Amino acid sequence: MIICRHISKSYSIGHGRKQVLTGLDFTINRGERVGILGRNGAGKSTLIKLVGGVELPDSGQIERAMTTSWPLGFGGGFQGSLTGYDNARFIARIYGQDYRNMRDFIEEFTELGRQLKMPVKTYSSGMKARLAFALSLAIEFDCYLIDEVILVGDQDFQKKCHDEFFVKRGNRAMVLASHNPDTIRSYCSRAVVLDKGQGTVYNDIEEALSVYSAL
Amino acid sequence: MASLRAGWNIQVRVIKALMIRELTTRFGRENFGFLWMMVEPLMFASLVGVMWTVMRGPSERNGISTAAFVASGYIPLTLFRHVVSRAIGVFTANSSLMYHRQIKIIDFIFVRFLIEMIGAMMAFIFIGIVLWSLGLMPMPAEPAYLLIGWGLYCLFTFSLSLVLAPLSEYSEVLEKIIPVTTYVMIPFSGAFSMNSWLAPSVRGYFIYSPFVDAMEMIRYGIFGHLVTPIYDAMIPVYASLPFMVLGLILCRRIRRTLVVE
Repeated sequence: MIICRHISKSYSIGHGRKQVLTGLDFTINRGERVGILGRNGAGKSTLIKLVGGVELPDSGQIERAMTTSWPLGFGGGFQGSLTGYDNARFIARIYGQDYRNMRDFIEEFTELGRQLKMPVKTYSSGMKARLAFALSLAIEFDCYLIDEVILVGDQDFQKKCHDEFFVKRGNRAMVLASHNPDTIRSYCSRAVVLDKGQGTVYNDIEEALSVYSAL
Repeated sequence: MASLRAGWNIQVRVIKALMIRELTTRFGRENFGFLWMMVEPLMFASLVGVMWTVMRGPSERNGISTAAFVASGYIPLTLFRHVVSRAIGVFTANSSLMYHRQIKIIDFIFVRFLIEMIGAMMAFIFIGIVLWSLGLMPMPAEPAYLLIGWGLYCLFTFSLSLVLAPLSEYSEVLEKIIPVTTYVMIPFSGAFSMNSWLAPSVRGYFIYSPFVDAMEMIRYGIFGHLVTPIYDAMIPVYASLPFMVLGLILCRRIRRTLVVE
């Protein structure tokens, strides 16, 4: 279970501050898939980063009682000057995983081939997302944080992701930020709609989507 | 107890992984690899040693060779200057590591310090062996003093970097004035003279420089009775504590506002 209590976050912009989230409360239960809906700049990525502990809220508390992945998206969490393999080694070390198993898994899952021997900064954003997904799947978290990218890549890769995340790991919790109503509708059971710093939790997906489309 | 041990294991794992990562990004895997980390202090110490030997003659007072004296002073000094310059902007450079919650920001300041420290120690030992085999440097007369002096020097350097790293995030001015400051402080580093060689009227002030105290102990550890050390071993400790506390507070504050891409 992950409990967010009254979290607020603002960023400084020039002379002022931009309030991104104000006093948001919500809970992610074990095995539950929660969608985050919002327009560009509404704070979806910020919320995911706060839940993942990448950035800290100005006020409020986040309590984590299950293992949580880092936010998976187009990059982030990689050292660009290191190769894909070196990044994998690093991740394996800090999460205490066996590197050889991890290497075999990412080779098979990402299908990046020799590109894995190249620095990550030479990767396209789709390639980075593949690597990030593969690494996080190799570690096995109770809760996956996914920012926007569930629909990257070609049909094959989409199918692979679908199988790994929603079939093999259907019992895991997930926080999924997306613009796409169809993605949220097909995967999530609840949703948070973010608008103007306010977040509202809807237990009914259709209600959340109609609020979102009216924004 | 069990959770304490688990925490310790994670900490060790993270430090190890960060060290390997830092070494591969900085030095690569080609040619010398990680041995590069001792090359710079080594080149500095030997070239300045040669220069001084030419300029000031082969020996300082009491028959201490100029080369040995300069090497013993220059290696700690390069440690300090490197640690400080590597602490600047460390958060921005490493912010992508914040994606992994088990990594704390103190970890990467510590890792950068550790790499510089190990490099400097390797250089110290290497140059010591070379000078010793040339008959220019004695075997350390008082190894305990050498080690404690070195430890105090490292402690103070680390505490200082703990403060400078977050401060450099707050202000860009700091980034600009630090190279000048580290240069101007060379006379207060104890690198190029013994306290007892100075005029009696200024000795009393120099003893308040933690670097001078640590340096005096290092020199006594190497040269023994050939030098007369004047120091207070507690000054580096007392000076480090407030910097460390302040540094930890600043690091905590900066973490709250750190923006990660």
